[in-house]
Amino acid sequence: MRKTSLAILFILILGAASGLGTAWAAGDAAGTSIRVLAAYGNKEAIFAAFEKASGVKVEFLDMSSGEALARLKAEKGKPMADIWFGGGLDSFIAAKTEGLLEAYASPEAGSMDAKYRDKDGCWYGVSLVTVCFMVNEKLCKEKGLTPPETWNDLLNPALKGEISVANPAISGTTYALVSAMLQKLGPDAGWKYLQALAANVPFFAKRGGEPPKKAAMGEAVVGISPASGEFFQLAKDYPVAGIYPKDGIPWTVAPVSILKGAANLKGAKAFVDWALSAEGQAVIVAADPRPPVRTGLAAPAGIGDFTYANLMPVDLEKAGLERSAILKEWQDRFGL
Amino acid sequence: VTPHGARRADAFERGAGLILGAAVLVFILWPVAAVLLESVRGQGGLGAYAGLFSGSGRLIANTLLVCVLTTFLAVGFGLSLALFLTRSGCRGKRFVFASLLLTMISPPFVTSLAYIMLFGRRGLLTHHLLGLSLNPYGLHGIVLMEAAGLSSLAALIIAGSLAGADRRLEHAARDLGAGGFTRLVSVTIPQAGPGILAAAVVCAIRSLSDFGTPLIIGGRFPVLASESYLTAIGLGDLPRASAMNALLLVFSLAAFVVYRRSVSGRLGVTARDKGGLAWPPPPLPRALDLALAAVAWLFIAFQLAQYACILWGAFAAAWGADFSLTLKNFAALDESRLGSFGRSLAYSGLAALAASLMGLILAYLIERRRLPAPGFFDLAAALPLAIPGTFFGLGYVLAFNGLPRAVLDSGALIVANCTFRQLPLSIRAGAAALAAVGEDVEKSARDLGATTPRVLRTVILPLLKSAFLVSLVNTFTATMTTIGSIIFLVTPRTKVATVELFEAIKAGDIGIGAVLAGLIVILTLAANLAFSGLLLGRRGLTAGGLELAHVPAPGRA
Repeated sequence: MRKTSLAILFILILGAASGLGTAWAAGDAAGTSIRVLAAYGNKEAIFAAFEKASGVKVEFLDMSSGEALARLKAEKGKPMADIWFGGGLDSFIAAKTEGLLEAYASPEAGSMDAKYRDKDGCWYGVSLVTVCFMVNEKLCKEKGLTPPETWNDLLNPALKGEISVANPAISGTTYALVSAMLQKLGPDAGWKYLQALAANVPFFAKRGGEPPKKAAMGEAVVGISPASGEFFQLAKDYPVAGIYPKDGIPWTVAPVSILKGAANLKGAKAFVDWALSAEGQAVIVAADPRPPVRTGLAAPAGIGDFTYANLMPVDLEKAGLERSAILKEWQDRFGL
Repeated sequence: VTPHGARRADAFERGAGLILGAAVLVFILWPVAAVLLESVRGQGGLGAYAGLFSGSGRLIANTLLVCVLTTFLAVGFGLSLALFLTRSGCRGKRFVFASLLLTMISPPFVTSLAYIMLFGRRGLLTHHLLGLSLNPYGLHGIVLMEAAGLSSLAALIIAGSLAGADRRLEHAARDLGAGGFTRLVSVTIPQAGPGILAAAVVCAIRSLSDFGTPLIIGGRFPVLASESYLTAIGLGDLPRASAMNALLLVFSLAAFVVYRRSVSGRLGVTARDKGGLAWPPPPLPRALDLALAAVAWLFIAFQLAQYACILWGAFAAAWGADFSLTLKNFAALDESRLGSFGRSLAYSGLAALAASLMGLILAYLIERRRLPAPGFFDLAAALPLAIPGTFFGLGYVLAFNGLPRAVLDSGALIVANCTFRQLPLSIRAGAAALAAVGEDVEKSARDLGATTPRVLRTVILPLLKSAFLVSLVNTFTATMTTIGSIIFLVTPRTKVATVELFEAIKAGDIGIGAVLAGLIVILTLAANLAFSGLLLGRRGLTAGGLELAHVPAPGRA
């Protein structure tokens, strides 16, 4: 039984490798299975929908993108998975530089703004990751503070020691903030702002999801947080609210990539095409509410009053390529 | 009397030596070397080291400071607890001992969450109950939490020495007129010397390689282990991170060498005949007795508060905010998650068995000098404990890269990784017990014509039951709660309980995380108690437990 299915898999892979068929017809890949390294909220629902639509089975493993990148480098082109879904874009861009990603021209690429994808097709955004303030309103009241609404509000001396920010080397969200500030204000004014902000931050958390939780548990008044539905949901149980900064929202994308050396390339391509299709985008946006990348779709409910117009101008590729230099400067100024 | 090693190794010993020696080379030295080689790859030779020494004076000072403070605190608590367990006349020793077994099981993520919830800036105890607004982040946080975690282990190791010490000496001292305190300081504690040193070296090495605690509550206080993690995982700079690991290895090996030198000069007076254990130890002065009890109960209360916190988190609607009780978190125990728990149990059981068997046989071969270069193998086998788990895991990926998916899906690498990571403690436990047993019985058996396998089975193993138990318990517990190293070795088909815990915590489901962590603790405790029952019979926790603790005096050579 197992042998036959392995044989079928083998034949299908051979067929895929020899380039039979071109268009995204999941039919070719149906019956196979793909392996996904995933860091995405409510991924189970997304993968279940894909399995239903394509007949391709998904096996996944949750891994933070920094650890995934370290593992991919150590695996040296013989990856354990076929697809890398969600996590910090910086790691994907670093992986592209190391030649660990497969270039793929998806037929769905035209349906999204070019700034949301890699020009060589090594990664595609599937949704936007935006940055908001997760504010503990109970503590605000206790301290007689008005909740911050702009980036400059965070420099208020009354917030000294009360702002939780993750380390940009670990957190894609913080890195999005840092690169957006530097791109918007220029290096001089940009670092000056970050220096002033850092003066109010007791220490930089070493886990990406920590700041919103610190705000929720009252360890900080403000947490610089990814503005996805799962964090807005904290408001159900804890005295927190997600607030978008009025003077510009830093952002990046949650990407998807095919890993070079993928065992099931056909299935991997089917997954990318589906994730960017209208059907897939609807599923992804509903599973973990975030703004979609596909043109013509509205932002979902459950992520506060988000507007695309308020996004800061950001060049993702530039941000990715400058990452080492920026983090080096960060390390010199603030330590790791 | 024949000197050590005069007898030629027989076929069994040669065979076992060959296989185990090869295993140490392949599964320990090769992966560790693979990681260290990364440090000279890339930007030209020793560049990573140059950068390390120029900018990291403070980092090194921090690391050593944490290591020294943690070791002192953990050994201090360990010694008080051990004295309470073996010398006190107060009640409740059985409970304290059982609590120590429990507190050795510390599931990742959740324990530190509980710590922050209880003792954080708005912690339940510190803020809501006592009205303080303490800052738990920094040097004191790291030292306190590392010491809390290591004190239980230190206590068991030291209690082992104390339980086996010849009590006639204490009675003699009393008869000669020594007061209670003098007796304690000049007779009882020196007798536990080897145990104290062993506990100190284990604590020092564990503190050096611990990256999880400084990551979560280090605040702005960086140490080498946490920085090497951030350098590899955050900055993607594997060469520099590897160089940091090389430095950690140097410190750990230095601690190990100092330990071996100092322990060989002063062996404790172990009761070789039943007479030394026949009398109960002379009673301690009342004040001292009460002080020891106070320290023990404070420690246990501090520790149990964290477990209570996790337990309560499993039933709370929203941990830390909504105090109402619910069972909704238990819905998370679906088929796929239970499958992960099944795999965790299977891998932990296999690793525990493998590490314990290999550890005892290696200890025998090393102690009785049946291996060429026993000192080399002893030191080589100690390497995995000295580097952070992350890098022992990455070393496996580098070393065994390109094995077919079927091998990865079998979980064999996960079991191997956990087995060899805990092997050092298994060897130490076995070696310590062997040193106490002496060669006389073994020689008599040989003179009567017993072969090596028979000697091992009928003479050595029964004497080493408690050493075997210690390594079973240690490896099983460590494998059930590990995440740092195996995150690089798991595949979608070999997910384990800690990976599920990681996913839940990352998704913000703290309540589900508490359920999973609670289940890990309960299963591990149940398995450990079952091991104790199987090996030590019905004597149960107290007597068997202290005998269990009699063993792990690492590195008695």
